[in-house]
Amino acid sequence: MKRNILLAMFLGALGATPAWAANECATLAGDAILSARTPEVDLYDAPSGKRIKTLDQDKFPKCLAVTQRAPNMMLQVSVDGAAVWVPPHMVNYRLASKKPAICRNLAMGGDNTKVGATRALGEDCPQKKAKP
Amino acid sequence: MTSRTKIRTRAARTWERARRPDREHVEALKARVPYWFVALVLFAFSVLQIALNPFGFSDLTQRYTQDISNLLITGPYLYPTTGREQITVALVDEPTLHHLQMPWPWNYSAHARALDALLAYKPKAVVVDFLFVDSRVDDSLGELVEEIARYKKAGVPLYFEGGTDLPYGEAPLRPELAKTGVRILDPSIEVYDGVVRQYPASGHCFGPGGQLRGQCPSLALQVYRDLYPEHPPAPLKGKMELVWGTETAPFNVTFNDRTNLLSCNEKTSFLLRIYRAFFDKKTAAGRCPYNNDVPVEALLAGGYDDDLNRLIPNHVIFYGGALQGAQDKSFSPVNGLQPNVFVHAMALDNLITFAGRPEQNVMSLGPYTFSNEPAQVMAIIPVILILSYLHLRRIRARRRAAHGKEHGALYEWFSDKGIEHLWQWLAFFLALGIGLLLARWAGLSVANWVEDVFISVELAAMLLLGVPDSFWGYLRHVAGGRPDDILPEATA
Repeated sequence: MKRNILLAMFLGALGATPAWAANECATLAGDAILSARTPEVDLYDAPSGKRIKTLDQDKFPKCLAVTQRAPNMMLQVSVDGAAVWVPPHMVNYRLASKKPAICRNLAMGGDNTKVGATRALGEDCPQKKAKP
Repeated sequence: MTSRTKIRTRAARTWERARRPDREHVEALKARVPYWFVALVLFAFSVLQIALNPFGFSDLTQRYTQDISNLLITGPYLYPTTGREQITVALVDEPTLHHLQMPWPWNYSAHARALDALLAYKPKAVVVDFLFVDSRVDDSLGELVEEIARYKKAGVPLYFEGGTDLPYGEAPLRPELAKTGVRILDPSIEVYDGVVRQYPASGHCFGPGGQLRGQCPSLALQVYRDLYPEHPPAPLKGKMELVWGTETAPFNVTFNDRTNLLSCNEKTSFLLRIYRAFFDKKTAAGRCPYNNDVPVEALLAGGYDDDLNRLIPNHVIFYGGALQGAQDKSFSPVNGLQPNVFVHAMALDNLITFAGRPEQNVMSLGPYTFSNEPAQVMAIIPVILILSYLHLRRIRARRRAAHGKEHGALYEWFSDKGIEHLWQWLAFFLALGIGLLLARWAGLSVANWVEDVFISVELAAMLLLGVPDSFWGYLRHVAGGRPDDILPEATA
């Protein structure tokens, strides 16, 4: 019985922790990017900035310390001495603290009302210049 | 007497008979109503009801029945979850914007990142339910163009949507995006009184440069045709009648119930559900979307997520928005107000579930396709013919009985009441049976023949009251018919 419980705990621990997380970058403390996840990794100049470079999976460095986390989930790391922002979905990463919880109230009560307004989607459209 | 005077006298008599008919004559004449006349009166009444839609009765009956059928029968018991298990909606909603601190509108880069996050999970295909019509000044447009190229490289079909009803010269999709050769689909949907119950079978075609040209399959139909070649869709000539599922995706239920006090569905007994469907529809409707609803920030967060690993790979993903004031929401008969991206998802769900043969508002018999109204008229014809035949048999039997043995008043009353009830039910089941046969063999949806059931009961009531007989008796009398001419046994 006891042996079964231990076996279950061991298998559970195996399932809960991905192999790469357990072994890689063990010396790096805090938040860290462990490796590239997608075939290409985009690097940005700011959390909501421009894409400045794209690295192939094999050229993306492993075990990078995350220096900052943006509210839009982007991770700041240093690549070749330059501070860049990496989209988290493109890399395998490890966070020292818990990820912010994503919750949703899908069930809505008031179904008889609709918003009677239009969202200002085009507010930053270029204005037409008057003819001289 | 001249011929003119004769005509005048005859006309005066006819007019007198029309004004003051002889009741006894009319009663005697109506017992001799011919079969063709009964059938003709019933047919005319049915056509009037179906074609002219008085007081919106036709529409109301159809739509109300479709809703009830969805809520009570098809949704919970007959509609399988085949399609639901292959479709996921990735949604940008208000909590997404709040969570990511990224106000709307997003730049092209943000959309590119969201699409890339989806691609990382290797979906079967992605349909982008955002319109990129405005030529917004944004340096990150190139990132979205590159993302399209990544999808091509990965072999994952990607669909964008093109704007319709735009001012002349306005491109349905930004030319920079259209030039990539990405598939562009028409996002039009069918809304009736704010509720989506039907889905178009065809839409606009967009050329390689994004320009409008001709007719193509509608969005869901095109996606289905491309992704499910093993069951090619039947040639659809009318509209699809959407069957809305009511078994909310388990992921949505778990996700919602984790934090929300308001559950997705209220568990009720079958009887209570029937009561609510008829008398308090809002409480019978579900509160969460039927198809899997994944928040986009969960995708952008990356990392390993069991739910995402289950819901995205090899699924058809609809990437859309639920944003306040974006005017992109409609009511569904079973879920209340929800973003229109779920309408496209449900249409594809129907196509997958019915293997390319969705319910329709038209009837196909061999090479011929009949639209809704002619189909209903055709469906009611057998009912009319049978009811008319039985009605005449009843009249003859009554006439024979009048000359034979007399029964007591109590017996007469009970037999009349019994016949009355049986008659109504006969009409009801006759129409129901024919409707079900049409649904089975001709693909006509319940909503499009159920009115025939109501009309059949009305026809039965007309026959019980003897409307065609009285009408015939009166017309025949006005035309100069005399009981002793045609009813020798009555006078014998």
